[in-house]
Amino acid sequence: MSDASEPAAAGRDRLRNALSRYRVPIGILLLVVLLRPVIAHDALLGSSYIASAMLIWMLFAAAFNLLYGYSGLLSFGHAIFLGTGIYGVAIGIRHFDLPYFVAAPIGVIVAGLIAYGIARLIVGYGEIYFAMLTLAFAEAIHFVVNADPFGLTGGADGLRSDTTPAWIESFRGRSVVQLGGGEFELYYFVALVFVIAMLALWQIVRSPFGRTLVAIRDNEELARAMGISTARYQTWAFTLSGVFSAVAGTLLVIRNSGASLENFGMMTGAEVILMSIFGGISYFFGPIAGAFSWFFAREYLTNLEMVAIPLVGTVDVGPILGYWRFFFGFLFVVVIVLSPQRGLWGFVRSIADRIRDRLAEVISE
Amino acid sequence: MSAATLASTPDELPSVPWLIAGLALLAVVIVTLAVRPGLFISNLVGGLVYGMILMMIALGLSLILGLLGVVNFAHGALFMIGAYGAYQVVALFELPFWVALIAVPIGVGLIGVLMEVTVLRRLYGEDPLIGLLATFGIELMLEEATRAQWGGTPLSFDPPAVLRASVQVGFLEIATTRLFTAAVGAVVVVGLFLLMYRTDFGLSIRAGLQDQQMAEFLGIDIPKRFTIVFFLGTAIAGLSGVLRGAEVGMDLGMGMDFVILAFVVIVVGGLGSIFGSVVSALLIGVAVFVTPVMLRAVTTVTGLEWLYVSGIGGLMPFLVMIGVLLVRPRGLFGEEGLLE
Repeated sequence: MSDASEPAAAGRDRLRNALSRYRVPIGILLLVVLLRPVIAHDALLGSSYIASAMLIWMLFAAAFNLLYGYSGLLSFGHAIFLGTGIYGVAIGIRHFDLPYFVAAPIGVIVAGLIAYGIARLIVGYGEIYFAMLTLAFAEAIHFVVNADPFGLTGGADGLRSDTTPAWIESFRGRSVVQLGGGEFELYYFVALVFVIAMLALWQIVRSPFGRTLVAIRDNEELARAMGISTARYQTWAFTLSGVFSAVAGTLLVIRNSGASLENFGMMTGAEVILMSIFGGISYFFGPIAGAFSWFFAREYLTNLEMVAIPLVGTVDVGPILGYWRFFFGFLFVVVIVLSPQRGLWGFVRSIADRIRDRLAEVISE
Repeated sequence: MSAATLASTPDELPSVPWLIAGLALLAVVIVTLAVRPGLFISNLVGGLVYGMILMMIALGLSLILGLLGVVNFAHGALFMIGAYGAYQVVALFELPFWVALIAVPIGVGLIGVLMEVTVLRRLYGEDPLIGLLATFGIELMLEEATRAQWGGTPLSFDPPAVLRASVQVGFLEIATTRLFTAAVGAVVVVGLFLLMYRTDFGLSIRAGLQDQQMAEFLGIDIPKRFTIVFFLGTAIAGLSGVLRGAEVGMDLGMGMDFVILAFVVIVVGGLGSIFGSVVSALLIGVAVFVTPVMLRAVTTVTGLEWLYVSGIGGLMPFLVMIGVLLVRPRGLFGEEGLLE
């Protein structure tokens, strides 16, 4: 072994360490860069139309998982925060002529305040109570939005017009951002916010705060005995989760060009739960994988329906696929019974581990 | 648990604000009685009947929650299937309503047993959230299956002639469906109470509730008891679905709506208390129906239009719940320490 190879080996080790240490930021960047070209490939969806919606929902699911995966608190009411982000922007632009970059922070702050208030009220109860109480709050707020207080929310019609910021140019479903003299696709704006928010979430998760949340999740009594104010940590986890969900909402309002009542609906809160658990709540990337597969499956199945009917004629898959929630519910129950923690991402990881072990074996031989 | 029940005397409450609140409520009731007596009384009756439906669902839910430790989210879907099942029997098979009243709850109970045996049995002793999520998935499946079978549009069927009539009570006309629902609800409560507290079967269930392992040592077949309790709870949900279907018809949203409300009832009444569930269900039912009338009466008297909030009725359960949680976190008659 010569002297020259040792620094090289050390350098390689350092590179490997850095890679494994920063694998989450690297993964996020790769995801943002690769998502559009990959799903636009002809063998997959053939269009990148839903790429920005996917990113937004990935952020929403990751924000949800900060609460469920890392703190062990299940919320059926996360539609409240997504909806507050959406309606905050829509109301600000439509009724008060605020610029987007003023309305969006206001929406996020309001969502944070609502989250904090709810959390202060209910965080001391057991998990089941907590989950059902978030559901009750979601119902109550859905009710309020539906009642159209002061003509702000538009009731059941939602806010469909005059809600797009001036710097968004929409043409045939494609949205283009015109900012600072430049012009680029909406996707890149969403991607920028997505990357920043995801990195922030990652920092939260690996900070002492995030570690404490995990400790509380794993053994609340022990954590309390060690002098951790569990209620305070859980309150802040709920608040932060709500804030990041609202950030996703402020993006979704541009993507959907408007706010609709179903953003506050029961199913919105349910979908994010289904996605996250399906993807695997034990991992940072689990909910992201869940959101991806949810959107991908839904889009792929609707495409399938449109192709299959004219070609095959007699085999009408539409009616069956129309009830896809039944099959998804079934799959969800199976996942819950068999492996409630690891989900799809856990499955992918175990396959990757097996391949790596196999490779290591081959190389060592 | 037993020590907690002893200490359930009400805490020292600040009496002056409560007195003022009580007097204000009394004043509003008097004003309403003066302005619109007929509407007030008929909404009061409507609220009590609505509360009876809520109460039956909540009883089944809390029975299952208490014994099995599972919040059966699918309870709402089973309630809904009860209503649609009654539609199937009465409108499509053209059988008498009384057949539906007996057969549909049994059918719904059997669906519940199927659920318990195939899914929930694997989840006892796990994190309670897992049970909640699993039954949530089942709720979605059942809802979608209902949509596939009966379509998405709201339906209704004609109740038998006896129930279409109305009875004159004083100056008030009350539809007999409402009286019938109230009567069935009362029978269910009393029956459940007698079953739980006056029979050996109820004794063994309560033993299992207190210490499952010890009860099994003493030779009680707990898994079988669990299945029977699950059947009972879901059959009651089916029964209340039949009654609700006869009174107002059915739609796909009713399951989710009612299971949430039933949980609100349990939280307000206090977990583990049959009496608490009954009181809070009736309270919430009345609050939903009477509050809009009272507010309307107050606005007509005072002329302050902003006092009337449209849609306040549907918001009342949640307002009551938030209020109760702030003042008395364990619920009106709850035992301390259950599922906390």
